[in-house]
Amino acid sequence: MADPIDVPVETNHNPLQPPESYFVPATDVYETADGLTLVAEMPGIKPDGLAVTVEENILVIRGAPGPEVSDGEVLLKEFTAGEFYRAFQLPADYDTERIDAGLRQGVLTLTLPKSERLKPRRIEVKVE
Amino acid sequence: MAMIPWRGRTLPVATLMSLREEMNDLLSRFWSHTSEPFGLAEWSPALDVSETDDAVLVHAEIPGIDPKELDIAVVGNTLTLRGEKKSEAEQQGTNYHRVERRYGAFTRSLRLPAAVDAEHVTAKAAAGVLEIRLPKREEAKAKRIEIKTD
Repeated sequence: MADPIDVPVETNHNPLQPPESYFVPATDVYETADGLTLVAEMPGIKPDGLAVTVEENILVIRGAPGPEVSDGEVLLKEFTAGEFYRAFQLPADYDTERIDAGLRQGVLTLTLPKSERLKPRRIEVKVE
Repeated sequence: MAMIPWRGRTLPVATLMSLREEMNDLLSRFWSHTSEPFGLAEWSPALDVSETDDAVLVHAEIPGIDPKELDIAVVGNTLTLRGEKKSEAEQQGTNYHRVERRYGAFTRSLRLPAAVDAEHVTAKAAAGVLEIRLPKREEAKAKRIEIKTD
């Protein structure tokens, strides 16, 4: 039986609370006619080591790489290791219900479509 | 509308700590001769290098780079990595809020700690991390010398 002391105490875990130490992934944010795109670099991160949450219009990206497998004697260490965390306050113009997320080649791409009511709409003028 | 990174309800101590880290970072970048301050230097991938009894292992962070477009060369005991990080979103009508990723061509060379067999170098990539395995040549491998006792 597991020692009860070893059980991590994580009741009432707040997703907005950043970890004690973390690195900030470099992120590009751009807007197109259809919506907002966030592109964050996180080499070495696998989908199961990543969590994207939206709460009260705050988008939180956080995660950690898997356990490090080091072979032999380390001669050079430049990788940023450990947990990462990034939070963005989203403008209200985006539909947070339909966020599309993809992780490819160590790059996370999030696409937020513009709310339907904010898309430019052409109003027909009726001529009587 | 401008996007403002949300910093959360941090304690004043945490704010001071992050300020101190930023100052340290700024100063170290300012005094560094190898890179220009304020992130103006060209991008090149971060490397991790380790050595085992029979091989040298090089890991490189290459987020967003197609591994097929990389050029890996071993000449003598120098490993050279060449490639280019391209932006996917250079289209018209794109309004940037934030550009933090760095793009461009890079060349990175590394002197290897041991003589390697260039014919048998292997490379694979997963999740934006490239792994190059360079097997050592027989004469460079660590050998255990048995001591004879009479």
